[in-house]
Amino acid sequence: MITVEHVGKRRGRTKVLSDISFEARPGRVTGFLGPNGAGKSSTLRILLGLDRAEEGTALVCGLPFHRLTRPLTVVGALLDGSGAHRSRTGRAHLRWVAASNGLPRGRVDEVLDLVGLTEAAGKRVRTYSLGMGRRLGLAAALLGDPDVLVLDEPVNGLDPGGIRWMRELLRERAASGRTVLLSSHLMGELAETVHDVVVIHHGRIASRGTLAEVTGTHRTLEDAFFALTGDGR
Amino acid sequence: MTLFHAELRKLLTLPSARAGLAIGLVLPPGVMMISAVPEEARQDAGFVQLTLGVIGAIVLGVVSTSSEYTAEGDDAPGGRQITTSLTGTASRTLFLAAKAGALTLVVAVLALVTATLTLALTRPLPDNTVPRVVGVVVYWTFTALLAHGITLLTRTGVVPLTLLILNTSVVSVTFLLSKVTPLAAYFPDLAGSHMFLHRIASPVDLAPVTGGLVMAAWVVALLAVAAVVVHRRDA
Repeated sequence: MITVEHVGKRRGRTKVLSDISFEARPGRVTGFLGPNGAGKSSTLRILLGLDRAEEGTALVCGLPFHRLTRPLTVVGALLDGSGAHRSRTGRAHLRWVAASNGLPRGRVDEVLDLVGLTEAAGKRVRTYSLGMGRRLGLAAALLGDPDVLVLDEPVNGLDPGGIRWMRELLRERAASGRTVLLSSHLMGELAETVHDVVVIHHGRIASRGTLAEVTGTHRTLEDAFFALTGDGR
Repeated sequence: MTLFHAELRKLLTLPSARAGLAIGLVLPPGVMMISAVPEEARQDAGFVQLTLGVIGAIVLGVVSTSSEYTAEGDDAPGGRQITTSLTGTASRTLFLAAKAGALTLVVAVLALVTATLTLALTRPLPDNTVPRVVGVVVYWTFTALLAHGITLLTRTGVVPLTLLILNTSVVSVTFLLSKVTPLAAYFPDLAGSHMFLHRIASPVDLAPVTGGLVMAAWVVALLAVAAVVVHRRDA
């Protein structure tokens, strides 16, 4: 469960987020939709304790991030790239991440297998393609088998097979009662994956609800998005 | 403890940190082997060479932190290890403490091993060897922590690495400043070297413990500032 209430943030004199409120519920995949620069990443980083909000609260399973003990067992995060240093091997990266939360070493091989990186595990991260880096980042997010997944543009860099694989994995996580929140600017892709949608535009929530509610009378989510934001040119 | 374990693992699996270990381990005994000790420098024989090895400690201190902030590359310019570190840790204080703790342990062991190797090559052995080796271990550890603190502020390794290594090897800025003002004797590198060197061209003669305390004050102050900055800053 993710609860974001009245979150606001400034960068310098610019208000980048205003009154952001939404929920991501267990058992559902929630899509955070908006153009580049709309404030998706900022919101996710506040939720994960990386950036600070001047206003409002962002809770994971009822707690702010800094109150979590062994956070990897509660929330897994995939942000930009792989989140690994380039000169370490994929396996060495996952091993220190596992150690930081006291997770068993055997779990590293399990998640490597889960994301299809077993063969590349001994190679340095700098030799990975963008898609392999994303898989490594996802492996780290899954290490603690968390109840909540937060993913920023997870299909970026994945090939069509990878996108399909990611979609199935996320829907399976939700089907087992977990919470999945992912951001994307790819509306067609998002409509295939999510149950609920939160639309953000210029740092404000433009719409939120189930996929059907947000799409409304429009033919597609994309049409609805451009009608909501008035950006269709 | 788990965070400390993770930081230790992180540091020891980083190739640039291994380079730092190698530099620290090889440089002082290597220089000792090829240097002739003049009569008047007898009492500092071995210890002068250990001053150079602190470059290894500087490398370790810088890369343990700069590696957190290195961008992953053109494909993912926003991707950095610090996001993984901080999304795996609820407390930035514990994260910083674990990082400093792992660095301290690795550098202290490195300094002890290198000092033993270097002094094994030194004949005759200078006076008061044991307390002065303790001084070397403390000096290397404090220097690594200073490098770590500066890098937390800069978030890039280039500037601290260049400045600190140049100051140690090519030209000592603090030494030059000590020609201008006696206050320069209280810079951490000059003050700290009193812990193990007897002949120091310093305007103020500090007792070994006093020198150590002056250096410790620098470390505490810098790490406190860095901790406050890291807490307030968006990661």
